[in-house]
Amino acid sequence: MRILVVEDEPDLLRSIAQALREEGYAVDTATNGEDGLFSAENSDYDAVVLDVMMPKMDGWEMLARLRKTKKTPVLMLTARDQSRDRVRGLDTGADDYVVKPFDLPELFARLRALIRRSAGQTRNVIEIGDVTIDVAGRHVVRGGEAVPLTAREYALLEYLALHRGELVTRTTLYEHLFDENDSTMSNLLDVHVSNLRKKLGTEFISTRRGHGYCIE
Amino acid sequence: MNDELQMANGEKDPVGSSAIRHSSFSFLNSIRWRLQIWYGLILVTVLIGFGFTAFQLDRGRVYRQVDDELQRRAGALSQLLRPPRNRGPQGPQGERPFNGSPEDQMPPDGPPRGHDFNVGPEGLREFHLPPMQARLFDETDTNSYYFVIWRRDGSELARSTNAPVDVRDPLPRPQAGEREPAQDNAAGPPENRRGPPPPQPSQMRGVFRESEIIMPPGERILVGRSIARQLADLRLTALMLTGVGAGILLLGLVGGWWLASRAIRPIEDISATAVKISSGDLSQRINIGETESELGRLASVLNSTFARLDAAFAQQQQFTSDAAHELRTPVSVMLTQTQTTLNRERSAAEYRETVESCQRAAQRMRRLIESLLELAKLDAGQQQMKQVRFDLAQTARDCVTQIEPLAATRHVKITCDLPSLECVGDSERLAQVITNLLTNAITYNRENGDVRVKGETTNGSVILRVSDTGMGISAEDLPRVFDRFYRVDSSRTSGNTGLGLAISKAIVEAHGGQIEVTSQPGIGSAFTVRLPVA
Repeated sequence: MRILVVEDEPDLLRSIAQALREEGYAVDTATNGEDGLFSAENSDYDAVVLDVMMPKMDGWEMLARLRKTKKTPVLMLTARDQSRDRVRGLDTGADDYVVKPFDLPELFARLRALIRRSAGQTRNVIEIGDVTIDVAGRHVVRGGEAVPLTAREYALLEYLALHRGELVTRTTLYEHLFDENDSTMSNLLDVHVSNLRKKLGTEFISTRRGHGYCIE
Repeated sequence: MNDELQMANGEKDPVGSSAIRHSSFSFLNSIRWRLQIWYGLILVTVLIGFGFTAFQLDRGRVYRQVDDELQRRAGALSQLLRPPRNRGPQGPQGERPFNGSPEDQMPPDGPPRGHDFNVGPEGLREFHLPPMQARLFDETDTNSYYFVIWRRDGSELARSTNAPVDVRDPLPRPQAGEREPAQDNAAGPPENRRGPPPPQPSQMRGVFRESEIIMPPGERILVGRSIARQLADLRLTALMLTGVGAGILLLGLVGGWWLASRAIRPIEDISATAVKISSGDLSQRINIGETESELGRLASVLNSTFARLDAAFAQQQQFTSDAAHELRTPVSVMLTQTQTTLNRERSAAEYRETVESCQRAAQRMRRLIESLLELAKLDAGQQQMKQVRFDLAQTARDCVTQIEPLAATRHVKITCDLPSLECVGDSERLAQVITNLLTNAITYNRENGDVRVKGETTNGSVILRVSDTGMGISAEDLPRVFDRFYRVDSSRTSGNTGLGLAISKAIVEAHGGQIEVTSQPGIGSAFTVRLPVA
């Protein structure tokens, strides 16, 4: 899952990005609305975390412009908890909002829900054969036994599971699983796929030669 | 069940007591009712006074009319009873001894006049009404004038047939021995002898009005008539006056109620609006119908007060919300940093980074809190500005020296043009203003830009101008740069609190001065501080 965080306070931006990366997300950052809009328009993010008060272009305007081209789920970070601000945010096209100061677990939960909903999934648990994926708890059970997965592996599995039945191209996977900072070693997609097959069964992920991967 | 009952009682009670309060309020304390009562009292007093006077006048007129008629008739009768004057004008007058008994004098005084009189030693014996006078008394009509004449000894000499039977000689007749002095008194002073003696005041006896004349020798003439008709008329008049009075009173009360209601209505409007405002809706205004009346003026004064209150309240709310908002971001930083860091074991460098960023957030909060407190004090007028004579130019030069390191990092060159600027005030607080202006001029300047500090003294004021070659401020932002928490770029970069210019403005204004800004986007801005010389 790849997420764009747009926030002008450097300390806050850094710590949100770090926390999200540690949760296994690929995270891109922007410190103002203009840069944020450019990034959001030119990549397919699974979600955007957007601060309202920013220099150059504020969150409202960036959201309004983004909505002209993209349906990327947007979670607004607002320092104003007055309902007219929330109403304005939701009306402009925000999918959810979190009021500062917020708890990280709440921010993560809202992001997960946002991504799940945008993939057309309403439940927190995805069952594929004897494999059960708990999206909220970020753990996987196969035949009653927990399957230990690295953050990358889990992210790959979750993405494929959320888009179950669809052919997911390698490019898409690259775009959604790795951010600009990822080193070449960590983005060896084939390695992650073969690790997942070892843990969940060879047939679990099928390969379409020259196209991509798919969970049936 | 019991609890429910108690709850119900508990809920009912305040409603009941408030209803009682309300009812006692509406009657005794209501201005409308008090006005109404006063109207009523005044109106009743006036009407009773007027009605009573009118009735008295009318009654007096009727009585006077009747009395005149009675006295005319009594006078006519007394003319008949008067003995003829056969001794010339002087004779009887001069000879009449005051101490002589009337019986002795009567014969020479009053011999019978022709056929009408028969005078004996006790006075007249017989009396016949001559036709001329008979016309004055219609004896067939019981409602017409009647007369009764008594002799000196109290026996009846004559009585008209229509005289009521209960008409008796009202005076107790003195016994023979004591008669003279009493008779003398009754007769009156001797000078009056020439005309008819004055009639006694008329008196009422039942429905009869009667007038009496006591002749000098002792005959008493009583003329009366029934005035039942006049009395009935008077009663009717009284009834009519009462009726008209009651009507006027009713009309007056209704009109008074209407007037009072009209006069009270604006007060009720004001009161209703005030109630809404006191319950928290500050946007309410009194609907002013007529602006010219006293209440209209009061209402417009109240309205402008409400408007100012509303604005002040809104400003306060905005300020509080802005302040809270400003504190949210540093708190968010600290929360996110600590939560992320504590998620797992970290290296010493990572911990250090977290602590440093928390420190930055805390510093920012400290700056913000200090600025807020300072503004609050300036708002409350608690911060007394010192009144010391000093050279503002020297203060400005000190500020420039202090800010040089910051200017150096941005490669901004500061040039000063500062002649001596004598003024009176608090140099420390004004230094704060200059430092703030310089910081802004450097922060919002371009790399290798210029900052000019120029001072001058013109008629009555000291002027200090700080101009930069920065990005400038757009025309729409310009009027708001002194607003609290207003930031041209709506960001929180470079650690400014958004309160600096607001505080500067408050300090300059506390000195009785002004602060102004002019700006050209892309070229630069200039802040001008104008202070009174002394």
